[in-house]
Amino acid sequence: MSILYVLIPLALLLLGAAVWAFFWAVGSGQFDDLDTPAVRVIMDDDSKPDEEDTP
Amino acid sequence: MTPTETCFHCALPVPANCKLTVDIEDEQRPVCCPGCKAVAELIRDTGMSRYYDLRDAPDPGVGRPPEDAAEWRVFDSAEMLEAFTQRDGDMCEATIYVGGMYCSACSWLIETTLGRQPGVSAAEVNPITHRLRLRFPGKDAHLSRHLATLAALGYQPQPMSPESTTRPEVAEQRTALKRLLVASLGMMQVMMFAVGLYAMDFQGIDADMQHFLRLVSFFVTTPVVFYAARPFFTSAWRGVVGRKPGMDLPVSIAVGSAYVASIYATFAKGEAVWFDSVTMFVFFLTLGRFLEMRARHRSIDRSAALSSLLPNTATRIDGDTHSVVPVSQLAAGNRVLIRAGEAIPADGILESGTSSVDEALLTGEARPQPKAAGDELSAGSINLDGMLEMTVTKTGGDTTLGTISRLSERARYARPAFVTLADRIASYIVIALLVVATAVATFWYFTDPGRAFVITLSVLVVTCPCALALATPAAFAAAGSRLSQLRLLVTNGNAIETLSRATLAMFDKTGTLTVGAPRIAAVFVVDNAFTERDCRIMAAALEHASTHPLARAFALQDPLPSVRSPNIVIGQGISGVIDGREWRIGNGEFVGGGAMADDSIATHVFLGVDGNVVAWFELEDELRPDARKTLDALRQLGLDLALVSGDNRVAVESVARTLGIDDAHHECTPEDKLAIIEAAQQAGERVVMIGDGINDAPVLAGADTSVAPAHGALLAQTSADVIMLGESLAPLTTAIEMSRKTMRIVRQNLAWAIVYNALALPLAAAGFVPPWLAAIGMSASSLVVVLNALRLNRFE
Repeated sequence: MSILYVLIPLALLLLGAAVWAFFWAVGSGQFDDLDTPAVRVIMDDDSKPDEEDTP
Repeated sequence: MTPTETCFHCALPVPANCKLTVDIEDEQRPVCCPGCKAVAELIRDTGMSRYYDLRDAPDPGVGRPPEDAAEWRVFDSAEMLEAFTQRDGDMCEATIYVGGMYCSACSWLIETTLGRQPGVSAAEVNPITHRLRLRFPGKDAHLSRHLATLAALGYQPQPMSPESTTRPEVAEQRTALKRLLVASLGMMQVMMFAVGLYAMDFQGIDADMQHFLRLVSFFVTTPVVFYAARPFFTSAWRGVVGRKPGMDLPVSIAVGSAYVASIYATFAKGEAVWFDSVTMFVFFLTLGRFLEMRARHRSIDRSAALSSLLPNTATRIDGDTHSVVPVSQLAAGNRVLIRAGEAIPADGILESGTSSVDEALLTGEARPQPKAAGDELSAGSINLDGMLEMTVTKTGGDTTLGTISRLSERARYARPAFVTLADRIASYIVIALLVVATAVATFWYFTDPGRAFVITLSVLVVTCPCALALATPAAFAAAGSRLSQLRLLVTNGNAIETLSRATLAMFDKTGTLTVGAPRIAAVFVVDNAFTERDCRIMAAALEHASTHPLARAFALQDPLPSVRSPNIVIGQGISGVIDGREWRIGNGEFVGGGAMADDSIATHVFLGVDGNVVAWFELEDELRPDARKTLDALRQLGLDLALVSGDNRVAVESVARTLGIDDAHHECTPEDKLAIIEAAQQAGERVVMIGDGINDAPVLAGADTSVAPAHGALLAQTSADVIMLGESLAPLTTAIEMSRKTMRIVRQNLAWAIVYNALALPLAAAGFVPPWLAAIGMSASSLVVVLNALRLNRFE
């Protein structure tokens, strides 16, 4: 069980890294728009597939 | 006009004034907006062959003539880039409000076209707020090129200054997201440790390991309490200081005391810790607040839409030189030049030139207003024919337009009266709750001191009046967001409640039940040498050159004879040579018949050739295509209908007869209208007034609920509770059905919250509810309320 004394702090470090990464992502505006990404997938369907070929 | 015509590309109805078509397989197909047109053409072109791809087809806008691009070039100057973009290393980021976007095809087109421009690393359009985020290299940045491209695609781009892009909503959402993440990750971690602790309770535990897990839980809970739960503490403190304790007070007491007691237990090696309850409680509360905030933010940003009515640039006169400057750089005292067809950039006094000005935006008056030196001009109105020189008196937010947009903005943030009432009631409930909690604590302290703290904690948590406080605002926020998707803007929170109880719908005639744009009702041919058809064609040919709103009534689809040397005489009419003869259209004097008795029933327009009157046209307002259907639907909903109008008896009665309204009042002044409304209210009716004119503003304010169409006068809209976007009347029935459904949901929510609290309190006080269960119960009851409210989002 004493392995927990190592693993739990390690988990907490990873947790800290995850929180830091998320804060950075929010700060850089990646989460400012929570509506469009859901719509964007559908948007391509609006136009016919052959236009995807245009460079 | 054929209202059933739909866009070839996106299947949305084609706006009546839209004449765009696209030639696909040798057939002219109607499209609804420039975006669809361009996309459809792009598809057609690529479908035919890859020749254009291989030839490296120029992007739209690149081939634009330079003189047109000049308007945008001012945005390339260093100070403009400074003002409108944010630097981020080598890249520049600009936010551009794109006017003229209608459907998702538009955002696809904008993103694809701009994304292909050299150097552009990101072009993202939010189709809800109509904002484009554009990242491009900062070195020799060509903002103007992107703006010109957008303009060439048929949109009205408007760069926004960074202050207007970093809106408070964005900052609020970012902070809320961070808090939500900290609370959720913290909760998950602490839960895992809690599972360990509970399991060890059953299997026997190593005291060191228990202490370690408690310490770690404490470590993780701390940021949850001090960061994620901070808004609750600050709000509770504000409530205490302002002597208006809100529901955040018991929340804070519960979170704070459980946290402190758990720390004590951790270090004193006590019986139990409650870190899991604390984090779970904070997480669910934060989640509830987050959902509520999102619903609140989801209303269309009207201020940006209003400011897009202003031009981007203005021609400033400095001595002898004319320079094109961004409108934001105009100051009071500047002289500006306004050409025909341009929008007036600021409020000011006309110095020289005569013209007629379209002020429909501000006043709802469709007829152009003649302006001469010394007259006042308002920002946002459109100069129709002459060249004007104006001295600026007010700019930006100080203009009439700016004031109106601020007023409508403020109305949006005002809280409805009975939500405020609910808050006041909640504060009494909170005090009562604290009294009950103290009583419970005292009782258990004398009966079983060991359990006193845990039970009091459960009582505080389980009876948190969150569900009660959320019941109304959550439903209103959800209804507001759904209504705005259904093209209805609710500017006054009370409107939903009053609409749901409306019994009488009172309509204004002109511009509300009717289109507000004239149509030829009758043609009287005086000269027998011509048929009615000849007269219509000649009139259409002459009026073709004019931007006058009346001219639209004459438009014909047929081929028209060409008019040589057309001449528009302001306030009189139009003359031109067709087949060698001089034709004139306009008022009687101008055409040659002398002034004819012009009663006010209808507008008369005369047509003449070589100084002799040939025919005269009677123009009349046309009923909205869906007026009849909407009124029938309203009757089905159990509403009485009435018509009040300033028009004469004949016109009002004919409309009332057509639509089957028995209660019609004619020749009403605004005072009369107000008196009619008050009489109805005395008789116990709850009145919805639907009107659009500037004169209707006091009338709208007098009704229980007021509805204004968005194409009417802005001033009418500021006193309206609900604004209908689009040309149709149909949203009115939607609004009433939706408001009734909302009130039903509010009642369900309140009933649920009361029943829950009534059941939970005695159970918790009797000691049957452990704190973790209390946290789940309270959170679940709040979530039920929020989810029930979100059902409104699916209302059709």
